[in-house]
Amino acid sequence: MAFYDNKHWLLSHIRNSFVSSDDTGMCEMVMQGENLSRKLVSSTKYDCYPGEDDSDEDDMDAMGQSFDIQSDLDFGAHRARSNTAARLEKMDRERKRAAKTKHIKWETAPVTLSRNELAEVFQGKDLKQVSSRDAKSQGGKSLLAQQLEQCPDLPQNPFQTYAKCDGSAHVGVKVRRYGIFLPILAPPDCNYPMTVIILSAAKVEDLIGLTLYKCSIHHPQYKIKGGVENYGMHIAEDDGEIDWDFPSLDPRETVGKFGFKFLAMVEGNNTWPSRSQDVTKDDVDSCPGHDPSGTRSKAQLQAAEMRMKGHMTAMEAPLYQSYQVFVLHPLRAKTEVHLGISGEKVEIDPITQQKVSAKFWVRQRAVSYDTDCIVACDLLETKSNSRTVFRLVYYRSPSPSPEQSSATPHSQSFKHHDFEAPEQVARAVVQQMNHILELRTSSHRREYLAMRERKSHRRKSFHLGPR
Amino acid sequence: MTITMTSDTSPSEQVILATGGYDHTIKLWQAHTGICQRTAQHTESQVNALDITPDKQHIAAAGYTRIRMYDLASNNPSPVVNYEGLSKNVTSVGFQEEGKWMYTGGEDLSARIWDLRSRTLQCQRIFQVSAPVNCVCLHPNQSELVVGDQSGVIHLWDLKTDHNEQLIPEADASIQSIAMDPLGNLMAAVNNKGRCFIWSLSGGGSQEPTKLNPCHKIEAHPKFALKCAFSPDSSLLVTTSADQSARVWRTSDFTLQTELKQEGQRWVWDAAFSADSQYIVTASSDGIARLWNIEKGTVEREYSGHSKAITSLAFRDQIVNP
Repeated sequence: MAFYDNKHWLLSHIRNSFVSSDDTGMCEMVMQGENLSRKLVSSTKYDCYPGEDDSDEDDMDAMGQSFDIQSDLDFGAHRARSNTAARLEKMDRERKRAAKTKHIKWETAPVTLSRNELAEVFQGKDLKQVSSRDAKSQGGKSLLAQQLEQCPDLPQNPFQTYAKCDGSAHVGVKVRRYGIFLPILAPPDCNYPMTVIILSAAKVEDLIGLTLYKCSIHHPQYKIKGGVENYGMHIAEDDGEIDWDFPSLDPRETVGKFGFKFLAMVEGNNTWPSRSQDVTKDDVDSCPGHDPSGTRSKAQLQAAEMRMKGHMTAMEAPLYQSYQVFVLHPLRAKTEVHLGISGEKVEIDPITQQKVSAKFWVRQRAVSYDTDCIVACDLLETKSNSRTVFRLVYYRSPSPSPEQSSATPHSQSFKHHDFEAPEQVARAVVQQMNHILELRTSSHRREYLAMRERKSHRRKSFHLGPR
Repeated sequence: MTITMTSDTSPSEQVILATGGYDHTIKLWQAHTGICQRTAQHTESQVNALDITPDKQHIAAAGYTRIRMYDLASNNPSPVVNYEGLSKNVTSVGFQEEGKWMYTGGEDLSARIWDLRSRTLQCQRIFQVSAPVNCVCLHPNQSELVVGDQSGVIHLWDLKTDHNEQLIPEADASIQSIAMDPLGNLMAAVNNKGRCFIWSLSGGGSQEPTKLNPCHKIEAHPKFALKCAFSPDSSLLVTTSADQSARVWRTSDFTLQTELKQEGQRWVWDAAFSADSQYIVTASSDGIARLWNIEKGTVEREYSGHSKAITSLAFRDQIVNP
């Protein structure tokens, strides 16, 4: 239908009809996009439903923008069986509730009234009398004004914003019901739990706020100390005993995750992360129902950042990087070298100022290996002085060594260098090297891996052998 | 003189403030403290309009395909009466001042009169128009209904004679709200272009039908106007709009008295005056209703607790004898 091209119509349609059957909050987001409608409106100068006239063959628009509302359970062709059960249960509940309600259906009048009868039933009122009577009562004070005078300068309840998380009257929205003990109150109030019903999507922080809000109304004698961050929710028994074995609930978690029936709110909170003011504010702003998708905890962001960092190192791996490490020689001597790694080759360069005269027998020559010859790079051990040893295994073609006559490469063809470096550097080298190796598939590497596999099998079978 | 502040006094002696909207709940507030006293369930539908019965015992909520009536005296969160058998949204609801009948208007292209007395349907009436009805206003003389529709037509329906008249203040502009002052001297209508039209009324006695004489036109808002209402002393007119403000106009010369605006309050859907015409309550899309001091233009109280937009409110204040 060409009808659906009309942005205004769609907006209006969403506003008028879908909002009421939408639990996902999407419609709400469209609703919040009032700027959008402003933009659209400005283009056509206040005309609310432009294009309506164009589609004169549609008699539907004569019936207004709101279409018949679908019950949210009717959506989708494939429903799980449990939904049917849930729906039946819901209908049952509805029926029980509806039984208490008197239903009156519209009926047209059985008889049409005569003119005289009409005039009698709908008798007009003489407004002139009213106006004289009203004039007398003018100048009186209203009940509201009087009540307002009695409590002037009522301080704004700082926890008022949490009231919107109250789920006590919501139907069809997931809510959690908690009995919350308040040891902060004086007896006997502290002995009984206060029932708090909250939207499942709300955070524990909202639960604390809502509890404080209810507390401020029902127990005004209790002075609330500071904000929600000064309080913590603990798991409690049904008699109000607090389970101190567990830390208080993380304020950033959604309450929907916790299935406890009883909680206790105490002063002081050990799980509030030391975080800056602005983060706290963000969390408060992102009350449920507002923008669930927009709220991301700091931890989540950090995780995402880490992942991204991982991607970056993988992408940058073939770029040349130089590390300062020590080569370990068989005789426990070590030489400081520059280990240069790029996508093409690996270079080992001794740092030049080394005294050539000394330890000539362990002198490390400058060598370079083609990346295709590198077959593995692994961390071996971390020493107590936080230095880490890693091994670079490479393939040396057998030809230069005459004693290696075998045509097929075996373990002898694979040589290695052991390096020692601070742990961070070692990890970086191994990571970069492995990223490069993953990108390439050299035949040597395949052979080496196959050989290692065989070796480990052999070792295993040995262990499993008769003993 | 006694002041009724405790909740166990009968609702007829109290200030009643109710709000409803897209979160499918109706909340009742203690107007002077901002505390939510009660929340009633309005399942499966947003609340399009609210009105309190003249005896202050019930509150009616117009929603999708039905009008629900809740008991104000008890704590029952479910409706006590459900008026049904309609299609589409019911957009407005109100009562004859003695509570004999209720009037509604809706997107099923009609305005209706419901007889509220049991076992008689004497008053049951229907008035069909050719576009969805956005608003219905009862003349203070209790015998004429004014119906505004989406095509921009205002219908005057004389209940005594069934005679009706039409007028179109502006072509192709939907009438959003109509109001009459308590003395029946003025009528105001706002449309979706933000304009407000004022008529002075003549006639309207028991014999002759009311005549509308165009009197004034205000460019009230730069965009979509949503609601208009006269103050009980007829000296002020409030208009609310999608431009995130409510504006208060003097009816003496239709100049702007105050603009009631708060950062981030978004669309202002509904407004009502206190009995002494000193305060206005507004309902807006940010889920907060506000009580304004008209003279100072300041917010006196905020009613926060709805999780979604508030689209309608009902407010009943009274004059206390000095």
